[in-house]
Amino acid sequence: MSTLALDQVSRWFGNVVAVNGITMTIGPGVTGLLGPNGAGKSTLIHLMGGFLPPSAGTVTLDGRPVWQNESIYRVIGLVPEREAMYDFLTGFELVVANAELHGLPEPGAAARRALATVEMTEAADRAVATYSKGMKQRVKMATAVVHDPAVLLLDEPFNGMDPRQRMHLMTLIDDMGREGRTVLFSSHILEEVEQIAGRIEVVVAGRHAASGDFHEIRRLMTDRPHLYLLRSSDDRALAAVLMAEGACDGVRLDPAGGGVHAQAADFTRFARLVPSLARRDGVRLYEVTPADESLESVFSYLVGS
Amino acid sequence: MNSTVIRLTARGLLGRRRAALLLLLPAVLLLLAVVIRLLAGPDQHLTRILLGSFALGTLVPLLGLITGTGVLGPEIDDGSIVYLLAKPISRPAIVRSKLLVALLAVTAFGALPTLLAGLIMSGGAGSLAIGYGVGALVGGAAYCALFLSLSVVTRHAVVVGLLYALIWESVLGGYVPGAQKLSIQQWALSITRGLAGPAVKSAVALPVGGTLLVVLFAGATWYAGRRLRTLVLTSDE
Amino acid sequence: MPDSPPPVPAGPGVIHDIGYRHYDGPRLGRAAIVGSMFWQSLRGAYGLGRTAKSKIMPIMLLVVMCIPALIIAAVVNGLHLKSLPLPYTRYAMVLQAVIAILVAAQSPQMVSRDLRFRLTSLYFSRPLRRHDYVLAKYAAMVCALLVLLLAPLVILYGGAVLAELPLGGETWRFLRGVAGAVVFALVLAGIGLLIAAFTPRRGIGVAAVIAVLLVTYSAVTVVQGIAVDQQKMMLAGYAGVFSPFTLVDGVQVWLLHASPSTAAGPPGTTGGLVFLAVTVALAAGSFGLLVLRYRKVSIS
Repeated sequence: MSTLALDQVSRWFGNVVAVNGITMTIGPGVTGLLGPNGAGKSTLIHLMGGFLPPSAGTVTLDGRPVWQNESIYRVIGLVPEREAMYDFLTGFELVVANAELHGLPEPGAAARRALATVEMTEAADRAVATYSKGMKQRVKMATAVVHDPAVLLLDEPFNGMDPRQRMHLMTLIDDMGREGRTVLFSSHILEEVEQIAGRIEVVVAGRHAASGDFHEIRRLMTDRPHLYLLRSSDDRALAAVLMAEGACDGVRLDPAGGGVHAQAADFTRFARLVPSLARRDGVRLYEVTPADESLESVFSYLVGS
Repeated sequence: MNSTVIRLTARGLLGRRRAALLLLLPAVLLLLAVVIRLLAGPDQHLTRILLGSFALGTLVPLLGLITGTGVLGPEIDDGSIVYLLAKPISRPAIVRSKLLVALLAVTAFGALPTLLAGLIMSGGAGSLAIGYGVGALVGGAAYCALFLSLSVVTRHAVVVGLLYALIWESVLGGYVPGAQKLSIQQWALSITRGLAGPAVKSAVALPVGGTLLVVLFAGATWYAGRRLRTLVLTSDE
Repeated sequence: MPDSPPPVPAGPGVIHDIGYRHYDGPRLGRAAIVGSMFWQSLRGAYGLGRTAKSKIMPIMLLVVMCIPALIIAAVVNGLHLKSLPLPYTRYAMVLQAVIAILVAAQSPQMVSRDLRFRLTSLYFSRPLRRHDYVLAKYAAMVCALLVLLLAPLVILYGGAVLAELPLGGETWRFLRGVAGAVVFALVLAGIGLLIAAFTPRRGIGVAAVIAVLLVTYSAVTVVQGIAVDQQKMMLAGYAGVFSPFTLVDGVQVWLLHASPSTAAGPPGTTGGLVFLAVTVALAAGSFGLLVLRYRKVSIS
């Protein structure tokens, strides 16, 4: 169980504040670091990985400071964003070298395991310079997990991957998280984060905008009305009674007969009243879905506000 | 020191183009030595000229520059240094391992050919050849350490190193006597003078030169290790 | 602005004309492309149009190059000398370290960067021919070197004029210095760009160029010194072919009747012709090889 803790961390480069007073805790499981480009995600990952000193605040792993502390790399694995690596080595030699640098007792075996995990065993004997982009990403993953780290930091790992590779990497990250490792990956692509991240941390313009389960984040934004789609046996009647009883603030009937779009500021009241009102007036409910629970709308609301 | 770092660095340094350059330079020296020997026969004075101004004055600083910057500069430049830094290895150990590779390269491509050239030209009279060979070795070591620590400090280490080696040591050294006292070339020559006799000219005395060489070597190595701990990895330039 | 046509009603997808327009106006020709590439490269050699840090070294080199000229000009005026203590044609040889550093440092800036970051694919997918690219870069490097080489000569000439040295003779000497500078620039630019174009890494490009310029000069000087000692003047003369600086100086000596700045000038007419031929071959050959090299650079 390893926990990364950032406490009031700021980082500035001259006049530019890249990270602004961020406090967050990354625990076991998969956490997604989400934010638009330039939000400070890479800076945060570098801070957590001990490659950048915080201008203010502290970054600790289980209480130990991360900056200028080489022993921390026994438990941290880093998948950097930049592509350059020792091109002249074969994939296997590269992972073995990384294993040796970690001081593992059996570097060859560990390297083979790591390569098998990322499904690069067949290509392992070719020079890294001949690899495609996706293969290079996978080899980078192998170098990061060869020493079985408790913490895994991935900087934009899905960059340039095709759908099949992305799916494979997602499964990999998911497995790592399930094993109890602390996995943090950054992305600006919502679908990726949505599918595997149990928790998300949203960073916008260097500030920590939100954290937690994305459904929960949605519910916390009470200043925005919740949108729901209800399909029932009698849409018009349902719409009328919802408005009449004040369960929601606004209704719109879908002209093609696709249901009622209801807008409610007070979610709890709405959730309480809908079933009872429908039952009272004899309207059978077929479907009640929140229309905007996906990360997309969370993200755009956050970014928009 | 770390054997994996040494192995990786050695393979990286002796990539095709760099190796060609590293082989070419001593080849020119040896060719010259043979030509001059054929022209003029064994001659102490000529040996001193060739080894002093060509080998020690041009070849060794250049080799020190190529190897000293070449073992660390390109990795910092393209970011692959992260694979060495994200490991539980002390930064000074990384520096020492890389410095070792640079030293071995400078010895193989600089000091040994200088010794060989000396033997060719002086017709086997040992002391001159050994003196310049050792001078090349210690001078090369100091240059390697200096330029290696320079490549941690700036991405333009090669140009800055050139400015030092050419403008400071050669141009200014010719016109400003004080500059000669602070020149690695002169310190190395003082060692050579100690071994090969007073015919070798040097601007500093042996104890001064030797001490300064040691101080520079140790200081630059230490500084490089310290500076590497605080290295900030930026994204592509 | 014309009315946008109404959207096509049938079908699930509609593409609206929101007024995006191709550029259909007049386009400048190839000459303009080459010209702007030349101008941009030339400015870049001195750090203009780039970050402040990239200006430091070229400007510093320019200053170092001009200081001795200023000193000489001041001395000539102050001491009322009858002629310049340093001939125009010798200036480049004396300060060759500075020139060599500029060539070594800026050749990779001009060509290696484009190769490393694959800008060549951008350039060559436009109507920019490969030999146009080489021409523009070569011309830019030559002009960058000319700035460095001519600035001190102009200062010297100004000092001489101020000191009221005989104008006709002085102007003639100045023009010879200018001609020599042009030849220096042509040869050095060719060598620098050729070496730098073969490696996308900047560091090794710098090292390779300086190695070639420096090691050849050092070797030739040693051989010349020994040959003169040994009374083998023919050898001393011909040895000058093997280093760019001594080669061009030889051409200056033979063609422009300058006084030699090396131990021995080219021996006789044959020697002079050999020097001239090698110089021309070097400059033209570098250009040709550069064109060949860029022909092999792929677009993807």
